[in-house]
Amino acid sequence: MTLKRISILLSFSVFILYGGLILSLFYFYNGQLFLETIKSERTLFSIRLSLITATIATIASLIIAIPSAYALSRFRFPGHGLIDTILELPMIISPVALGATILIFFNNPFGILLQERGVQFVFTVYGIVLAQFITTLGIAIRLIKAAMDEIPVRYEEVARTLGATPVKAFFTITMPLSKKGILAASILTWAKALGEFGATITIAGSMAMKTETIPIAIFMRLANADIEGTVVLVLILVFIGLSVLYGVRLLTRRTSPQ
Amino acid sequence: MPFIELKNIQKYVLKDINLAIYDREILALVGPNGSGKTTILNIIAGLTGYRGDVFFDGKNVNKIPAHKRGVGYLLQDLALFPHLDVVSNIAYGLKIRHYPEMIIKNRVEELMDALHITRLKGNYPQQLSGGEKQRVAIARAIAPFQKVLLLDEPTSSLDAQTAKYFRIELKTLLKRLEITAIIVMHDLLGAEEIADRIAILHKGRIEQVSKPEDILFHPGSDRVSEFIGMPNIIHCDRCRVLSTGLIEVTSGDLAIVLPYEGTKISKIAISPHDIYISDTEPPGPALNRFKGVVTEVIPLRSLVRVKVNVLGRELLTELSGEMFDEMNLSVGKEVFIIIKLRRLRYAE
Repeated sequence: MTLKRISILLSFSVFILYGGLILSLFYFYNGQLFLETIKSERTLFSIRLSLITATIATIASLIIAIPSAYALSRFRFPGHGLIDTILELPMIISPVALGATILIFFNNPFGILLQERGVQFVFTVYGIVLAQFITTLGIAIRLIKAAMDEIPVRYEEVARTLGATPVKAFFTITMPLSKKGILAASILTWAKALGEFGATITIAGSMAMKTETIPIAIFMRLANADIEGTVVLVLILVFIGLSVLYGVRLLTRRTSPQ
Repeated sequence: MPFIELKNIQKYVLKDINLAIYDREILALVGPNGSGKTTILNIIAGLTGYRGDVFFDGKNVNKIPAHKRGVGYLLQDLALFPHLDVVSNIAYGLKIRHYPEMIIKNRVEELMDALHITRLKGNYPQQLSGGEKQRVAIARAIAPFQKVLLLDEPTSSLDAQTAKYFRIELKTLLKRLEITAIIVMHDLLGAEEIADRIAILHKGRIEQVSKPEDILFHPGSDRVSEFIGMPNIIHCDRCRVLSTGLIEVTSGDLAIVLPYEGTKISKIAISPHDIYISDTEPPGPALNRFKGVVTEVIPLRSLVRVKVNVLGRELLTELSGEMFDEMNLSVGKEVFIIIKLRRLRYAE
C-alpha cells in the first residue's frame, strides 16, 4: 500500500471517529424532546449566555493577543522567552486547576479588594467571561504569533522606507497579511471559549438561569442521568461549532486576494 | 558637497566606514558576500541602528526614522506586497503620504509607462515574472518622489542578457529622474556598466572608491586587485585602425585586435579567466592567439593560475585544477593562449 493511500485512509479514520461519535448521539435522540428542550427558556438562556460570554472573551483576548503576538514575533526584549513559555500555562495545567487558581486569587487580600472596589467575579457572569478569557488568551497569542511569524519583516521595512510609520505599516501591511491567521485564531479562540467548562464552573458555579453556559448545562443534565436532554444540548453545541467553522471557511475563501 | 555622507560608521562587520555620495551620482558598492554591503544600505535607509554619523545634504539624520528619510529601497527579494495589485503597490508610498488622488494617478501612470509595465496594472505580485517584479519594485521605490534610491542586487534574479539590458535601462531612468543611487552588486562587470563610481568593500572596510576604469587599471591595493580578478594591464604603444571595424593595439611585440569604437586605446585590461590556455594549437583564425612558455604555476583552491611569457611579456592566465592536470602543464612547457575578444576592457 502506498504512502498516499495510507495517509488518505488515516485521514478518513479521523472523519469516521468524530463523525461516528456525533452519529452515536442519535441513538438517544428524541425529536419531541429536542423541540421542547430547544424552546425551553433555560436552554435558550444557556445558548444566549454562552454566545455572549464567548464573544466578549474572544474580543478581550484579541485586544491583548494581537499586539502581544506582534511584540513576541517582531522584537527581542528581556523577558521574551519567559512570556513565550508562560503562554502555554492554560494548556499544560487543567482548566479546573486554572479556575481554582483564579478563585484562590480572589480570596487573597488584593483579590478581595479588587472585587469590593471593582467587579464581582466569583459566581457571576463576569466570572464566566474571566474564566474564558484566561483560558483562551495564551492560545490566541500563540496562534496569532504563528501567523505573524510567517510574514517577512521585510514588508514592514519597505513600507517604512515608503513613508509609513511603524503603526501605519502594522495596519496596512502586517494586519492585512495576517488577516486569515487572525481570523482562524479568533474562531478557535471563540470555539474554545464556547466549550470552556472546568475553569468556568470553578469560578462562576452552575446556577441555572444565571451562570449556566451550554457545557455546564450538559454537565448538569448528565449528573441528573438525563441522557436525552444531554444529547440535545451536545447537538446544539456541535451545530453552533460546525456552522461557525464552515462559515469561516467560506469567508476566507471569498476574501482571498486572488 | 556630498549629498549623502557616512562618517565613522560601525555596525556588525563594518569598521569605520567613511563614504561620500554626490548629488545625482550612481555609486556601486561591490564586494564579496559578508563584506557589509547590505548593512550600509540599511543604515542609510534608517532600518538599523549604528555608531557614527549619516548626513543627507549636510544635515545629520541619525535621529530621523526610516519613514521620514525619503529614501527609496529596492530589496534583493523585492518584497512586493502580496495583498496589493501592481497599481496599489506602486501607489502605496503616495497614499501613505496623503498625496491628492490626481497626483497619485498621474505619478503611477507615468512610472508604469517609463518602466513598460502598464499592461500589468491589475496583476498581483504572484502573477509576475522575476523581471516584471523588478520593474514594479523600482516604480514603487521611487513613486513618492524619492531623491535617493538604494538598490540591493537589482539584477540578481535576472539572466545575464536581461540583466545587461536592465542595467542600461535603469541607468537611463535614474539619470532622467535625477536620482542619487547606491547600488549593491557582487559583479564588477555589471557595476562598471551602471555606476559613475565604484566602492570596493572587503570585510567591512572600504578598500577603494574610484571611477570604474580607475578600479580596473589602478587597483589601490592587492585586495582590490585580487577581487577584480588580477587583470593583466597592457599599456599600448601604437594603435592602427583596420579596415574591418577593428583596431590593432600594439604593446612591444604583442599585437591585440579590438573592436574599433572611434577612439584610440591607451590601456587594456584582461582578466586571467578571460584567457584560454591550450597545450595544442587551437583551430580557427589566429586572431588574438599567441604562442608562449609557462614561467610560473600558482595553485589556488580549485583553480590554478599560470604565468605565460608571450613575446617577452608575462600574462597571467587562470584555469580549473582539472584542466590543469589534463594538460599536464609545468614551467617551461610551450602553450597557446587565446584572448577572449568580447571580454577585453580598455581605457581611451
